[in-house]
Amino acid sequence: MADDAGAQEKKPVSIGSELIIPIAALAFTLYYFYTIWNAPWTAQVAAFIVGSVLILLVVLILIKSFRQLSRGDGEINFDNLIEPRSYIPKRLTLLGLTIAYIFVVPWLGFTITTFLFLSLAMLVLSDFTKKRLILSLSATLSLGGYLLFIVAFKTRFPAGPFENLMNGLF
Amino acid sequence: MKDFDSKLDRRTVLKGGAALAGAAAASSLPFGSAFAAGYPDRNIKVYVPTREGGGADRLLRSVTGVWKNHIGTNFEPSFFPGAAGRVGYEKYMGLAKDDMYEFLFGNMGPEVLNWVVKKPTFDLNDFQYFAQVDSDPGILFVSRRSKFKTVDDIIAEGKKRTLNVGVSRLAHPATLGALALAKHTGAKFNPIPLSGGKNTRAGVATGEMDLGALPSGGIVNRAKTFKVVLMFSHTNPLPGRSDNAPTMNAHFGTNMPSLIAGSRAFGIKKSAIAKHPDRFAKVEETLKKAFADPAFKEAYAKTKSPWEFVGLRSAAQAKEYADNIAKIGAEFKDLLAGKQT
Amino acid sequence: MEYDLAFFTEMLGRTLALWWVLIPSIFLGLVVGAIPGFSAANTIIILLPLTLALEPEIGLTFMVGLYASSRMGAGIPAILVNIPGTAGAAATPLDGYPMTKQGRGQQALSMSFVASITGGLFTTIIALITLPWLSQVAFYLHSVEMIVIMFFGISLIATIAAKDTLKGLIAGFFGLMIGFIGTDVVYETPRGTFGFLELYDKVPLIPALVGLFAISEAFAVIEKQSIVTERGKAAMQEPGWAQTFEGVRIAASKWWHITWNSLIGLVIGVVPGAGAAIASFVAYQQSKTYSKTPELYGTGHVEGLIAPESANNGVTSGTLVPLLVIGIPGGATAAIMLVVLQFHGVTVGPDLFITSPELAFGPFTAMAVTYALMILTVLPLARYMSHITVVSTIYMAPIIISFTLVGSFVPRAYLFDMNLALVFGVIGYVARKTGYHVAAILIGVILGPLMETFFLRAMKMSQGDIMVLFSSSIGNTLWVFLVISLALPYIMNRRNGKREKAAAHDPYG
Repeated sequence: MADDAGAQEKKPVSIGSELIIPIAALAFTLYYFYTIWNAPWTAQVAAFIVGSVLILLVVLILIKSFRQLSRGDGEINFDNLIEPRSYIPKRLTLLGLTIAYIFVVPWLGFTITTFLFLSLAMLVLSDFTKKRLILSLSATLSLGGYLLFIVAFKTRFPAGPFENLMNGLF
Repeated sequence: MKDFDSKLDRRTVLKGGAALAGAAAASSLPFGSAFAAGYPDRNIKVYVPTREGGGADRLLRSVTGVWKNHIGTNFEPSFFPGAAGRVGYEKYMGLAKDDMYEFLFGNMGPEVLNWVVKKPTFDLNDFQYFAQVDSDPGILFVSRRSKFKTVDDIIAEGKKRTLNVGVSRLAHPATLGALALAKHTGAKFNPIPLSGGKNTRAGVATGEMDLGALPSGGIVNRAKTFKVVLMFSHTNPLPGRSDNAPTMNAHFGTNMPSLIAGSRAFGIKKSAIAKHPDRFAKVEETLKKAFADPAFKEAYAKTKSPWEFVGLRSAAQAKEYADNIAKIGAEFKDLLAGKQT
Repeated sequence: MEYDLAFFTEMLGRTLALWWVLIPSIFLGLVVGAIPGFSAANTIIILLPLTLALEPEIGLTFMVGLYASSRMGAGIPAILVNIPGTAGAAATPLDGYPMTKQGRGQQALSMSFVASITGGLFTTIIALITLPWLSQVAFYLHSVEMIVIMFFGISLIATIAAKDTLKGLIAGFFGLMIGFIGTDVVYETPRGTFGFLELYDKVPLIPALVGLFAISEAFAVIEKQSIVTERGKAAMQEPGWAQTFEGVRIAASKWWHITWNSLIGLVIGVVPGAGAAIASFVAYQQSKTYSKTPELYGTGHVEGLIAPESANNGVTSGTLVPLLVIGIPGGATAAIMLVVLQFHGVTVGPDLFITSPELAFGPFTAMAVTYALMILTVLPLARYMSHITVVSTIYMAPIIISFTLVGSFVPRAYLFDMNLALVFGVIGYVARKTGYHVAAILIGVILGPLMETFFLRAMKMSQGDIMVLFSSSIGNTLWVFLVISLALPYIMNRRNGKREKAAAHDPYG
């Protein structure tokens, strides 16, 4: 899993991206403390212990990063998060499609949304080659998913035009 | 043992096959076209604010399994567990339409106590229970392995040291019963919320808790493991199955209101009743018929819960019960919310 | 409980006669186990109309077969595509997925099958023999003891963090804080919920699991051609059954490891409310602590895969013990089984062994037979299943995303949970790319709330006296073991100080 690291030993550490997790953790911990400030002790004890340690750890990594910066071992950039840059458009499109999937599924239902998501995402990733294969694969998978999840397992997925049509037919 | 030996033959296999086929047949719906006109013309959705497979689920299945034949449509339970019922109620009030196709099936006692501790985001006046289905008294119980045999043993020990009382959650009628008992007798009880009846029984059975306080249903059907020592209701509906446990008022001379701990009920948006009084009438009428149907008693018997608890009560009776619980809850409000140790 | 050999032989024959129930339930179990969000518990619920209609003995056999095989099914996507189907399989990808990347997917699958099957079969038999004693375990492991056991699991964070301690600890503690989201178990105060009612009952595990592991991986993997590395692909050219047999051989040579870790699973499974997630993390931690090559864990190490897989199948047999002996289900699936039994008017508890021994012992023989049948039915599949990993990421990434979004929706049917999975996917992606271990976050998310529950219970019982943590002799013994197992790696490290730390990673080591 950690195979993405390595390979760039000599390059300065990209401090910007490495601080995202600690900063997020810090922000969340402070928000969490805010929500339990006036709560009974049972709500506080574990979170205060763990949260304090976490804050301490974040302070340590901030100090470490600051020293790296001043020594010139680190740079404020987001390189290791976005490299390789050539994949930025594809990655962002995939993210956008995923968000769209979640927002569209209540309206279009499971089957149509899954088909659209799969085919669009695969088309983008394949640079719009192999169109026929992708369309038939997406259709098969979304229909298979419909049969498995909705017909067989009776999952309470939102119904859309397709599901309603099938319900009407059978 | 004997018939177990003789069953091991080809018939077992064949019978199993037949059962499979029977199950397939049973899952298709057995109603005709008698109710096809008008309401209801599609499934009725029931919001259940507890987990699938829990007590409410089982009871709901036995009720709707018969009710569907009388009202003429299927019931679709939807489970919204979370925050001790809060999620289910909020979802119901937020999502359900007031077209009489969406009900809620909850456990009035603990869920009414929720609102005492923390108000919901919706207006409680927009919601009402319209049919109380069962009434399960709160009880005090111990493990059969426990050194305590009666409630008097418990009180005597509780005056010497603090006893840990396993409860489903703090804001629960059975917990209120235990607290009231401690207050009355001077025994020291430390209620430990164990998140649900299942865990509470485990806590008492494994000896981590000195005793437990729960609705009686999950306890009386495990009579080999647990012993009921006290009832918080006015009468003991199940003397035979609860070692003839005394009621609190009779044994201690108190004057407590009857603490029915489990009382499952159907609820609905008031606006739905106002909009569709005709549909509501049909709902009430068919539910009454379902309760009178011998098939219901049969289905219910299979859950092994005591039939003595079952009794359809009207909207007015349900309201009276809910108000009563809310009143007792208000007395112990600080303790339930952790403002007092 | 005096039963002779003839009785058990007869029970076995009786169960074998139900093969026509077991075979379909095994395949169904594999499928639902492999789909994240589905589990034996919710499949049994979906099939309730069927199970309730069956005779209790047949229904029970069906459920047991489904339960045991779904546990094994959950390991398949965990190994091949980094998607643990359930929390119990969350430790499986730690070493299983790296093996896949090296092109050893087939081998890893067959290894995990052997570990699961033999671990499950062994513990089932042990459970059957030691039932009277085993059923007592729950009387001795209470909140305090469970807190210590949880520490074994949580200390994995520190072990995982070995490469970059600071980052690893931040990831783990961040995970713990996320795990504390939701109401506290005593006074039900909502905490850190951002106002979402859906988070009152804590962060749902499936969205966290699939988000951190799978969705983040899907976003990361698109820059590669396939999940398997180029070198791995070359390794996969070796056709046929060789890799399957190699996996069986390796797993068989680790029989002692399987035995030991499945016993950990069995004991943890017996405790109501513990479960497979704890067991597999504890097993992984134990395995690594006492290993001669702890530095290889996480790189596709055999023992790192075998330990959690044998442990979580040990749990499966364990959860049946409290269910049948004291009528207290040890986990969600056991709880559903209880519902079905009650529906049939079967009262579970000690007297079940006297009133209807075929129902009391039946689940154990059914489980043993299930495991035995799985050797024949499942092992051959490893060869074909592993081919999924060479499919181009052009297709795999979108499929993984849509598949896991569905999976995160299923358990609660909340659209909210799909959003949550995406949020965890983004957190996982950032963590992955910037060197924070997602597994450390996940251990926190899974074990944090369990730990807090046991801790608050102990504290409430002692009325705030922290010394309660050292109040039981079993607990204290466990504390000593914990300290030893934490100190051991450092002692070993110092002893082996001269040895080259970063020895070349032999992929077949």
